[in-house]
Amino acid sequence: MGWREAWRISGVALTELSLQAIYAFRQGNLPPAGPPRLLAARARRRVIQSKVLVAGVLGLVAAGASLLLGISARIVATPFFGVLVSPAVFETGVLTGLLAIEVAFLWWTGLQVIPTLLASGVLPVLEPLPIDDRTLARVAGLLYLRLFDLPAAMVLVATPLFVAATLGAPAGVAIVPGVIAAVGFALALALVTGRFFVRRVQGSRGGGGRTFVRWTYLVLWVLPAFAMFGFVVAAPGFLALVARTVGTGPSLSGDLLVSAFPIPFAVLPAIVTDGPRAFGLDTVGAGVLSAAVAGYLALAVWSIVWLMASVRRLGVAPAMAPAPAPVARFALAPRGPARAVLTKDLRVASRMPGYAFLVIFPILEAVAIGLFTFLTGPGSTATFGLALAAVSTAALLATFFGPAFFAIEVIAYSYGRTLPLSDRSVLLGKVALVAAIYLVASGIVLGLTLVRVFAPGVFLAFALAELPAVLAASLLELGILFRRARTKGLPIVNLYSGGWYAVLVAVPGLVTAGLPLVAFRLVAGSPETAVFVMGLVALGELALAAPFALGVRPGRTA
Amino acid sequence: MARADYGPDPTPLAAVELSVSYGERPAVDRLSFTVRPGEIYGLLGSNGAGKSSTIKSVVGLVRPSHGRVSVFGLDAVADSLRTKERLGYVPETSMLYEALTPREFLEFVASVRRLDGPTASERAKSYAAAFRLESEIEEPIASLSNGTRQKVLIIAALLHQPPLLVLDEPLNSLDPRSVRIMKELLARYVAGSGRGVLFSTHTMEVAEQLCHRVGILDRGVLRAEGTLEALRLRAAAGDASLEEVFLRLTREDEGLDSAVRALEGA
Repeated sequence: MGWREAWRISGVALTELSLQAIYAFRQGNLPPAGPPRLLAARARRRVIQSKVLVAGVLGLVAAGASLLLGISARIVATPFFGVLVSPAVFETGVLTGLLAIEVAFLWWTGLQVIPTLLASGVLPVLEPLPIDDRTLARVAGLLYLRLFDLPAAMVLVATPLFVAATLGAPAGVAIVPGVIAAVGFALALALVTGRFFVRRVQGSRGGGGRTFVRWTYLVLWVLPAFAMFGFVVAAPGFLALVARTVGTGPSLSGDLLVSAFPIPFAVLPAIVTDGPRAFGLDTVGAGVLSAAVAGYLALAVWSIVWLMASVRRLGVAPAMAPAPAPVARFALAPRGPARAVLTKDLRVASRMPGYAFLVIFPILEAVAIGLFTFLTGPGSTATFGLALAAVSTAALLATFFGPAFFAIEVIAYSYGRTLPLSDRSVLLGKVALVAAIYLVASGIVLGLTLVRVFAPGVFLAFALAELPAVLAASLLELGILFRRARTKGLPIVNLYSGGWYAVLVAVPGLVTAGLPLVAFRLVAGSPETAVFVMGLVALGELALAAPFALGVRPGRTA
Repeated sequence: MARADYGPDPTPLAAVELSVSYGERPAVDRLSFTVRPGEIYGLLGSNGAGKSSTIKSVVGLVRPSHGRVSVFGLDAVADSLRTKERLGYVPETSMLYEALTPREFLEFVASVRRLDGPTASERAKSYAAAFRLESEIEEPIASLSNGTRQKVLIIAALLHQPPLLVLDEPLNSLDPRSVRIMKELLARYVAGSGRGVLFSTHTMEVAEQLCHRVGILDRGVLRAEGTLEALRLRAAAGDASLEEVFLRLTREDEGLDSAVRALEGA
């Protein structure tokens, strides 16, 4: 059997995987109303929609980078950390950021998808069939690539086009090796780390201090993905570093800089645009650059070849080998229903990277911005603004948690509906979790900022004034989702199966969380007055959202 | 839960004119049956006969398109929370939070059912020991075999000692030892207690050994109901086994020989 047959079979496997991802039949979910023959088509359509969403985000990032490159002449006039940067350095910085974000976003998307791929069992089903080994490996590899087809195509096509539109066709061609490497590394990293998560995190035993160990693993593995947002914060510092290194002429540190992925691929378009001398490389530097480009490109191609051969092996072998070990004694510590939901969600998140990311991200973001404010000079007004912006970001990010934690319910949705668990308990448990993450993130950033800018009253009042808005946003989103789950019977599953719902329901959440922040900005006068008005707006929102979410058919299960 | 608190009616389960349909497709058609106090009632039927749909409407997973279900006199739709407090359910497929361990899952169920710690722990320990689950109690459910998952679901259903147990093919993946324990446990569970068990199976031998009465479902319709003796009389089957009675009452014995002969030539 050849590639054509492998492609056909991988299409069948993709349909089954889509069904599992969308309808979660293996978790006991019931088929939705409507003719059963339409289910497969509907599942595939929903998966395509979600891929379009992910590809759209990547396209927007590329367009944004292109926009930045277009205004580079104006931006380079601004010193970054006291250093003036050349156009070549600025272009390198922007393209480095773009490639890093593309790797991180594709990788993160893969981490969401791979547990579903491994748990769906679509690959083991094919094994007993009379299909030769080579075709089975091709089927598995093609299935994996098809999960990323639209996002990967967006990176491979849109990035060169956007770069060409701003810097010219030669620069567009020069970025092609970079996007190939970005896609190759991201897909291979997703496979390796996804498997790692399934084995070491999802497969980790309970009890003892293992939850802490799991969260530590998750933080370590989320750190690179955090780069996609962290880079935005670190960009001025990075540009200053590159400018300083390049400004001193050829050096070992310069050579090291151009050998670190993805910088060499970002340097190529800059050199093509601004000439070979623009980056100040000598013969050794040019050699290092060429070797780095060739080496990374070869590694990326090898990554694709490796993953094509490995998906079958990883997808068929049991991801979690049970290793029974006697437990000396165990005890149950029941809590109230709402606390039980909160604890259950945290435990599930600690074994599922996609959900864990949502818990960890705002906290890491708070640490990063908090450290940034700590490093800036004392008494700086920018520090004050940055700290408030960090808390605002944590509040706005919190609006994505409602849909995410609601998605956890789908894991055993049917079983949950047979328990005497009211919508209200589920909702309160999830809202409490969102509030806790917001408060921890705010606490970190404010704690670090207070060392330099000692204004505890205003900071604390700001964070607390926004809290009702965070609660209102979560209640509003979860109220909408519970209504939808009751009428349609299908909750959101993950990024690749119901991303649109998460995005749509986040809009009213963002407005709710954002209104008090807008009020704070608009109110003239002292910060105390602005915080007071902000708090009033937030409390008003909570007064409206709570009856909607908690008062809807109390006592009914989702 | 004390017997006096079971509900306004001592009858554990009553289905009246119950119909369930998925879109245009009817799965259960005007089904009426009762599980009496102290009784294990078996729902028998071939694949697709409507057993699971009936059970799902009892536990609140499917809304009946017609008729009503009452649990100890409480309406399963209008009073769903109080109904669910009174029943323990073992589903046909393992519907669990696979990211949790059995201990974490049982703790969640005990919390939702508002059990106190010592009671929940004692019961969980006893059942885990009986089903030899202690060594897997801290393993992620995702890594457990189907049989072990089934044990977890059985323990979760029994944890609050519900007055009504609803079991959908509960013995399917269990090992022989656990099957024996379940049979003994269920017989003792209902004896003189006022409790009831609704039990679905297509294994006639199990139903014959375990159930006080059985209802035979065929394409969503109740063909016959009663004790094994009553069914034998109705089917004019002498001292035939339940399997033969079942095949005769559902007319699935017609063409059986020719189907087997056709297989010989396959």
